[in-house]
Amino acid sequence: MMKLLNTLLKKELVDAIRDKRSVMAVMYYAIGSPLLMCGIFFMLINKFSSPSDLNITIKKSQNAPDLVRYLESRGITHGTGEDLKAITLTISHDFAKDMNQGKPATVTLIADNSEQKLKSSINRVQRALQGYSSEMASLRLIARGINPAVVQPIKVVMEDQATKQSKGSFIFGVAILSIIYAVFICGMNHAIDTSAGERERNSLTLLLSHPLSTRQIVLSKVLAVTTLAMTGLLLTLLVSKAAYTIVPWQELGFTINVSFEFVVLGCLLALPIAIMASTLQLFVSFFAKSFKEAQTYISFTLFVPMMLSIATSYDLAPDTLQWLPVSGQQQALMDFIKGKAIDMAPLMASNLITLLLSIGLILGMEKALKSEKTIFGL
Amino acid sequence: MQLWMLKSARLMKVNKSQWAALLFIGLVQSALSVAAQANLTNTTGEQSSCYLKGLSEKVLCGMVTVPENPNKPNARNIDIHYAILPAIKNQHPSEAFVAIAGGPGQSAIDNAAGFNRTFSKIRETRDILLIDQRGTGRSNILNCEFDNIDALAFNDETVDNQKETQKCLSDLSKKADVTQYSSDIAVSDFEAVRKALGYQKFHLYGISYGSRMAQLYMRHYTQSLATVTLDGVVPMQQSVLAIGEAIDRSVELLFQDCRQSKACDQAFPELKRDYLTTSKRLHDQPYQGKVNDPSTGEPTHLLLTKSKFLGTIRMGLYSSNIRSLLPYAIHQANKGNYQSILGLYSITQSGLDLAMGMHASVVCGEDLPRLTPELKAKADASYFGRSLLQVIEQTCPVWNMPAVKASFSHAIDSAIPTLLLSGELDPATPPSWGHLAEEKLTHAKHFIAPYATHGVALQSCGNKLVAQLVNEGNVDKLDDKCLKKDLRRSFYLNASSVEPLPAKAKE
Repeated sequence: MMKLLNTLLKKELVDAIRDKRSVMAVMYYAIGSPLLMCGIFFMLINKFSSPSDLNITIKKSQNAPDLVRYLESRGITHGTGEDLKAITLTISHDFAKDMNQGKPATVTLIADNSEQKLKSSINRVQRALQGYSSEMASLRLIARGINPAVVQPIKVVMEDQATKQSKGSFIFGVAILSIIYAVFICGMNHAIDTSAGERERNSLTLLLSHPLSTRQIVLSKVLAVTTLAMTGLLLTLLVSKAAYTIVPWQELGFTINVSFEFVVLGCLLALPIAIMASTLQLFVSFFAKSFKEAQTYISFTLFVPMMLSIATSYDLAPDTLQWLPVSGQQQALMDFIKGKAIDMAPLMASNLITLLLSIGLILGMEKALKSEKTIFGL
Repeated sequence: MQLWMLKSARLMKVNKSQWAALLFIGLVQSALSVAAQANLTNTTGEQSSCYLKGLSEKVLCGMVTVPENPNKPNARNIDIHYAILPAIKNQHPSEAFVAIAGGPGQSAIDNAAGFNRTFSKIRETRDILLIDQRGTGRSNILNCEFDNIDALAFNDETVDNQKETQKCLSDLSKKADVTQYSSDIAVSDFEAVRKALGYQKFHLYGISYGSRMAQLYMRHYTQSLATVTLDGVVPMQQSVLAIGEAIDRSVELLFQDCRQSKACDQAFPELKRDYLTTSKRLHDQPYQGKVNDPSTGEPTHLLLTKSKFLGTIRMGLYSSNIRSLLPYAIHQANKGNYQSILGLYSITQSGLDLAMGMHASVVCGEDLPRLTPELKAKADASYFGRSLLQVIEQTCPVWNMPAVKASFSHAIDSAIPTLLLSGELDPATPPSWGHLAEEKLTHAKHFIAPYATHGVALQSCGNKLVAQLVNEGNVDKLDDKCLKKDLRRSFYLNASSVEPLPAKAKE
């Protein structure tokens, strides 16, 4: 039995390797997706970090030369040209008069707060103005013979439990999504080729005419697709490990490091997902009438695990999602990154559900392959 | 008797600044007790994560045990504590950036927040290592407990320094041999920490007194250093007791700056005269009066001596934002309104974390013995120099530190890439001191920031230059253009505003 299965698996794998498209699918994703993610991260870093010299428009700066020089010492200057951000600071006409009377002097900050690209720059201008204001407040109190510490009745000491890794976990969530996705993408082409494709080439009937049980055939196909998916995953992890080191994470104040432990854990946790993905893809393809049709159906089925994965990345309903396939394993991986203990109960449940689904699909295929309707694609 | 300090207050943080105060000309007159006690219980020598003052994130703390007296390795041991602010993305694991605090007597670890903010760019790719020098902070602090003195009412000009010093010494002798707290021995502790942590190279940043430590490090362990930055430079050739002249110079620059600003000159046309008459008046007869306590608001008694008045002005010169209030404060004081001086005085009383025992060990061993007759004559010519010297001459015979060798004063002869930073307005270490230190440095650049006070990297783009030096490993491309940008602050014209009222439009 094992020997037979072995031979069948070998046949499937040889088929897969001979099929250039299947191999290319694996390579494309394994190399392409980490590089693409790196590109996205580069852009994100550019977008989120405020430039070291922030050019804004300052109107009526002659009303408050000291404030303008203070802002300049914080890298915020009145500028023109390409780098100019759409932020305008107008100093009121009565600035000096109000100041001299000890009244709050008005400056107006004009900017679109919903503009994501501007957010960090707007915050920076606000912080600088706040800084100037509190410095002045302190000095005004000192000038009146009062220790400025009296206007800070509560001093909040923050002890942040975050670690260097967990600070980047939001970003890493997106990276994990792209990594888990590898098991869906990398086996997909072969799953179609070995089912709908084999039928189109009329070699499925030939295979079925051999003295083999349908279970053996199905299992060998599942194993072959899973092997391909797992190879793709491993490659994706290794390429990510190398590629992510070149991203300048430090500019965002954290670092993302694909450790060896993460690679091992990632492979382990993704195994049940890979099995489910391959059974699901084979199942769908067997029911399609042609190669083309199979591709269309599979695209639809990809949507569900994708949604689960995205929801996990954005931390939507984590209490429910941690019990489900895909999202459960992804949650565990994210906990690992954050340095938290992995909650075993939901992870095991999610693995169990994943495997049960796979077994169900395998049985379904077995049954289907006994019917002529499926074999001839009627 | 602090001679010079680690750092000036950061601009926006007047209320939390680490103002070491001057006012205590005497070691013993401090109304403060230093808060930085060893509050880590780690005795295993391993690293553990810890939280530091002013930093919300977890960092690493640890310690290295060394013999107190290197010649008696089996006698008392002391623990040298350090903290590592881990690199965000450690691209140079074999290097660390080491910031050395000033004082002498300030704790580097207690100033972690300031160093972290100033050198955030460096920390992106390298660890920042902060070591509490022996006798400071968590490393067997030599700290004198004083009775609580009412800082407002007590007379600082009539304290018996010798007696108080004696008491401090006998307290400390239970836990330390104060003669072992010199800079030279402390440098060997730093090297021991480097070896224990496995760093191959250090990038040093020494501010104020820390610059002396950095230069000694260059002298003794050249191989361990990649780059050095000296900020607020104390040259080896110089006894720090020459500081009186530097303070006078800085006060004179304040008058000059005010004269050059149209608004300030208009508001306080006779600033220098105001300063001199007030000093004279308080010298003849200290001011006594009822005031509200700056912190509690309770009515209380104020005794304002000349020493308190001038000490407050001196401390105000350390940071450019507080400096901007001084002309107004002096002018008002001359008119008999001491509110601003009172406010300034009160902030000099808080936040002074200086280990006075360690301070005395350094100054008595390394500076007083090097006081030449010419230098003494110079110091005596200045009020500040004279009064500091007076206290030191009373303190040091009690402390009984062995004097450093003559070779201690040799200029550092080194090819290590070195950046020297001086602030033109510095009331402690003037630019001329930086020139002295530069003498035999073959790969060095000395920049003078025209608008900076003490500690250039902390108040200008100097920190960017330090980061550039650390990243490039040489001084060739460093350029002082950004230091020259006129970012000076306007003077306060009254208790509320720096901006003059616009001239009324003529009808």
